[in-house]
Amino acid sequence: MKLIFYYILGAFSLLLVSCKNNETLPYLGQTVVENGKEIHHKVGQFSHYNQDSVLMDNSSLSEYVYVADFFFTSCPSICPKVAKQMLRIYDTVKDEPMVKLVSFTIDPKRDDVKKLRLYADNLGIDHNKWYFLTGDKEATLELANTYFVAAFEDADAPGGFDHSGKILLVDKDGHVRSFSEGTDPENTPKIIEDIKKLVASYKAENK
Amino acid sequence: MTKGLNRFIKCFLGGFLTISVIFSCNDSPYMQGKRLYLANCANCHMEDGSGLSALIPSIQKSVYLGKPEIACILKNGLRDTIFKDSTFLVREMPAFKKFSATEITNIVNFVNHSWNTSFKETTITQIEDAINICQ
Repeated sequence: MKLIFYYILGAFSLLLVSCKNNETLPYLGQTVVENGKEIHHKVGQFSHYNQDSVLMDNSSLSEYVYVADFFFTSCPSICPKVAKQMLRIYDTVKDEPMVKLVSFTIDPKRDDVKKLRLYADNLGIDHNKWYFLTGDKEATLELANTYFVAAFEDADAPGGFDHSGKILLVDKDGHVRSFSEGTDPENTPKIIEDIKKLVASYKAENK
Repeated sequence: MTKGLNRFIKCFLGGFLTISVIFSCNDSPYMQGKRLYLANCANCHMEDGSGLSALIPSIQKSVYLGKPEIACILKNGLRDTIFKDSTFLVREMPAFKKFSATEITNIVNFVNHSWNTSFKETTITQIEDAINICQ
């Protein structure tokens, strides 16, 4: 009898948790409590040039929800697959002005502004919607960690860099709210749903 | 009774065989080609051969579908710039020198069988001839 009670209690608490998740996206990473206030993990500071030679930093994106990934144009392994999923996301958020896409190159030596512009042109995307950013290499590799992306130079890896193909969803305050594995197309609908949820929550706030 | 059981087993086996043939036919008959494609080509050209916008050409719509000359591109790679109006595409494909004529034939047949609506099997002789000309 007691067992059945615990079972039902467990089932209901699971239901409650899952309901809660449907309303707001979780804050990924470590949350610390300071002076009774919760402080969520934030992505690192950056100052990078985009494909149109415009210097951008965190504040350039403070009005937007954005989808980020780390890549390099001459990457022979996972990047095209991840780019394909980014493009899929781009197509669904094209008409939502609150959403931007940001791709950081981890190979700034080869990926200068000119190369990134060409890449963006060939991808056929709107330069004001999807930014390709290049900056200091060490800073970018460190920045990747704050987006929970492992990226490092490795002479033995294809193309000279080893990195994961995660796609991250970042909110207006720089908190990571969702992610997907860019190498798995079946992961993409989930992050698209999460983008919609996040956008909807901001719109509800402003009402 | 034994006769009925005998017939049942025969029917069962017959049905089993038919179903297994149908299902195996749904997969590509070019298994080595498929395996090589997935290991060497699908990262860029995607599993469904759709490519990536203008960056990576789609194989589904390639002008090389059905042409043995594709063997040269596989073997030697590609590096050129194509100007078109005000835009230009940089086409770069690594060379796959390690592939034998047999392997190339299997890849070409897998690709054509998957995406060429007027599929006709390419022979190893055609591929060998093509490779001889391109060098």
